[in-house]
Parts: sequence; structure tokens; C-alpha cells
Amino acid sequence: MSRLLSADFAKLKKNKFFWICIIGMFLLGVFMAAMHYIAMQEYGENEPQITNILFSYALVVVFLIPAFVSLFVGTEYSDGTIRNKMIIGHTRSRIYLSNLIVCSIAGLVFCTCYLIGVFAVALPLYTIDTDILKGIMILILCSFVMSIAFTALCVLTAMLCQNKALTAVVNILAACFLLVMSIYIMNKLSEPEVYPGYSVMTDSGEVEVLENEPNPDYLRGTEREIYQFFNDFIPTGQAVNITQAGGMSQSPGLLAAYSASIIIVSTGVGMFVFKRKDIK
Amino acid sequence: MDYILTARSLGKRYKNFKALNDFSIHVPKGAIYGFVGKNGAGKTTFIRLVCGLQEPSAGSYAIYGTENNDPGIARCRRRMGAVVETPSIYQDMTAEDNLKEQYRIIGLPSFDSIPELLRLVGLENTGKKKAKHFSLGMKQRLGIAIALAGNPDFLILDEPVNGLDPQGIIEVRELILKLNREKGITFLISSHILDELSRLATHYGFIDSGHMVKEMSAAELDAACRKCIRVQASDVRALSRVLDEMNLEYSILSDTMADIFAKINISQLALALADQGCDIISLDEREESLESYYVNLIGGGNRNE
Repeated sequence: MSRLLSADFAKLKKNKFFWICIIGMFLLGVFMAAMHYIAMQEYGENEPQITNILFSYALVVVFLIPAFVSLFVGTEYSDGTIRNKMIIGHTRSRIYLSNLIVCSIAGLVFCTCYLIGVFAVALPLYTIDTDILKGIMILILCSFVMSIAFTALCVLTAMLCQNKALTAVVNILAACFLLVMSIYIMNKLSEPEVYPGYSVMTDSGEVEVLENEPNPDYLRGTEREIYQFFNDFIPTGQAVNITQAGGMSQSPGLLAAYSASIIIVSTGVGMFVFKRKDIK
Repeated sequence: MDYILTARSLGKRYKNFKALNDFSIHVPKGAIYGFVGKNGAGKTTFIRLVCGLQEPSAGSYAIYGTENNDPGIARCRRRMGAVVETPSIYQDMTAEDNLKEQYRIIGLPSFDSIPELLRLVGLENTGKKKAKHFSLGMKQRLGIAIALAGNPDFLILDEPVNGLDPQGIIEVRELILKLNREKGITFLISSHILDELSRLATHYGFIDSGHMVKEMSAAELDAACRKCIRVQASDVRALSRVLDEMNLEYSILSDTMADIFAKINISQLALALADQGCDIISLDEREESLESYYVNLIGGGNRNE
């Protein structure tokens, strides 16, 4: 396993797309922090809040990871180099795990580069309330586990589909679909329970008070629980919530547990099918 | 005889298509084994099975005597290398980086032997040129270098000269011969370019429709393909006596037929046979190349499609 990891990390170091992503994420972090600061200085009444932009990377990696994994793992099939590993006697489980580990670490590096970019600007310019540091750390850790879960799903597709282009299309389309679904779920959950009452002055000069009105679109009971489950369970749902510094999600521990279950199940299924797959 | 690779009743099925059916093979140690068959005969399928890329549906094979279902097969595979179909190389890396990557996969502690390996395959001057800019022959030789990285004593090459220009074919052929003679590496070479294979192989296996039709040594093939005169006579015992008296090499094929492996004076033979009361019914001059031998052997076999 160590030999495969050594080879895959060496390959990662030589991967141009990996370095482009790293630089891109760092610059994005710098840009987001700087633009938020400028906006707050010009138009805002409040101090710039780091939490407003700190977690934006969670949505970016949702697209970056499928693209990266499809190219990184897909190259093994398109160049045929996965055969070199098998011919020399490496087991399929180890080949799968090695790819998963290297891609997961690449995903974490992307996230970290964004954070470094943000902090490079935020530390000298922003006032950071130390009371929220613990919460920030917990959400960052949640986003890291979410990133690994998303990578595990992409690696599953990439290892089972021997066509690099098809893998990229499937992974990116799936990410788009899941993201749209997650935003829809989030909007449904965000519906207010009641429309607040308000007062109006009629033409005759009388003040009419309208009572609070229940919102028919507000989710209740089992339906709300199902929506809440998918909001917390789907990696893109987690990403949307993390971007909004928690959003509609339940406890961070639950998000991490869901991500861990995705990692375990997708890796188990992936390794099981990959072991029985005919490689060309 | 020591065999590096054997297979017994091997089968591989893709849905309703039988790619290999009751297939057997015996690759002797030190041989250059020419694995001959037309496109779709099952050559690459067998190679994929041996390389562990696919699992057989039936039967078994053994590498260095270790059966494919034995966990020790992974250790045996470390002693072999293979180039299956296209060379397995990272297109965005240089020849040296490709070899370094393979050294890491194998777990070799040092890259010191890489320059020697590059020299061996004639790629020592490629510098920073990426593999995607290599010619087909260079890619093929890099593929062979990668297969050689673990110092294997068994190398499988699937269609190694396919698509190469004449110079590339010569380079690959010389490399194979050099490795076989100097390093004692056993080769299994699949090909349907029979003329090229006949310049290399010490043993042959003919596959058709996923089934091994015949295995033979190059000496046996030479004997089968020798120039000869096929004589059909009324009395083969009389023919045999006459040929013995004339001190000619021959082989009896049936009660009326024999092959004579020599230049003969037809008039003398006819007179001598007439003295023995034997008539010549027909005379044919025959010469078989590997190609015609293969065509005669495979004949009108049906495919398992």
C-alpha cells in the first residue's frame, strides 16, 4: 500500500490541474476576503464578518472535486497505467484505497488553500471575535469530512467507469443535480411557518390589522423530517448549509456522521464491484 | 520440461460470447513463445487473464507453478512484466518519470538503474520530451522498459509490432532477441503478423475461436513447413524401399502417400519404382510458410459467436 501511495502522491505532485486548483483556490480566498472588506467599508454599516465568506469554498469544491477526481483517476484508465499496478501484483482493494486517499487529500488541500487565502487577508484587516473560533473550527472540520465524502462518491464513479470523459460528465452533472436538489430542499425548509401580520390604512382612514397567516408551504411532520434528512445527508446539502455558516442543518456531529457513513458505504460498494470488474 | 505458464481448460465468457473455451497452453522456460491467432481469436483475453486484469469463468492457469486462485499468485506476478495492447505509459510524463513511477509502484529503493534501462531500449536521449510526443515505436519500447522495471524473467507482449514502421519492427525484434539471449527472459508474444513472428519464436501456439488448436516447437514447425515432394504411389512399401536405396529423407503419410525432403531425379525414381512394380499416381512440389501452415491449420473453423 505504501508503494502505491508513494507512486500516486508522486503523480499528484506532477499533476498540472492539481496545482492550478491550488493556486485558484488560494486566489479565490484572497479575492473573497478582500472584496467583502471593501464592500463593508464602502456600503456596510457593520464590521466585515469573516463567517460571511469563510465557508464559500464548500460550494466551490463541490465542482472542483468531481473534475479533479475524474481527470486524476480517469488518466489511469485512459493511459492504461492501472494495468501496471495490477500486473505487478497489487490487489484491487489497495489500488482503490490508494486512489481514494490521494484524491481525498487533494480535496482537503483545495479547501485549506482557500482558507489560507482568506486568513492572509482577514487576519490583518478583520476583527475576529475569539468567541466564534470554536464554531468556525467545527464547521471547517465538518466541511473537510463532507469533502472526503464527496470525493469518495466521485472515486466510486471514476474507478468503475473506464471512460475518462464519461466519468467527468457523470460526476459533474451529478454534482449539478445534487446541488440544485439541495438548494430546493433548503428553500423548502426555510419557508416561514406563518406570514407575519401587518396593519394597513384603508381609504376611509381606518387602520386595519391583518393577523398572522399560516404558510401552506411550510413543511410539517414526517415530510419536514424527510426534507431535513436529505438536507443534512447529501454532501451538496451539507455544502450549502456550511456555506451559510450552518444554515438549516442540525448538529455538526450529525453532518459528520452522515458523511462518514457515505464514505464507508461508497468505498465498500466501490471496492466490492471493482474487485469483480473486467479491466481492459 | 520447465514451464513458466500453463493453462488448463481455461474459459472466459462475456455475457453470451465465449472468448476462451477449454483453452490450454504450455510456455516453456527460456522460450520465445509465438501466440498466433486472428483478430478476435482470444489472444488478448488470455493475456488479460494471466495479467490479473480479468478473472477466468472456468478452468485455471498457473504462473511458475502457482495456480491463479492461490494467494501467492500476486508474488509470482512480481516476476513478470507485460505490455497489453497499447503501452501503459503516462502520456504527460517523460520516459524517465514514467520509469520512476513504475519503480515506486514496484517498491524499488533506488532509481540508479533507470539510465541503463533507458539505454537498453534505446531511449536514453529523450530528455524532457513527454511520452505523448514519442513515435509509436518509442512508446512501444518505453512500454517494454516499464515491463522490464522489476527485472522480470517472463515478459508478455501483446501485438508488440502492431502499427510500427519497418525500422520500429526491427528495433523491437532486436530488443526481444537481445533480452532473450542475454538475460534469459521468457517471452509470450501474441501476434497475427506471422512473418515477423517466424523470425523470433522458438515455440508456437495456434489459437482459434478461443481454443488452442496446436502447440509446437519451431523445429517441429520447420519440419512441417519444409520444401518437399509429395508422391502418391500404388505401393508405399515399394516406394519406401526405393527411397531407402536412394538414401533420401522421407516421411510416410498414408498407404499411398509420402513426402520426400530432397531434390530428386524424377526419371530415376520412376524407373526404380517401375522395377519394383509400383506406379506413380501423382507428384506435387510443396512448400509451406508459417502463414500457409496457419491457414491450413485453422482452416474453416467456426467462431463461437
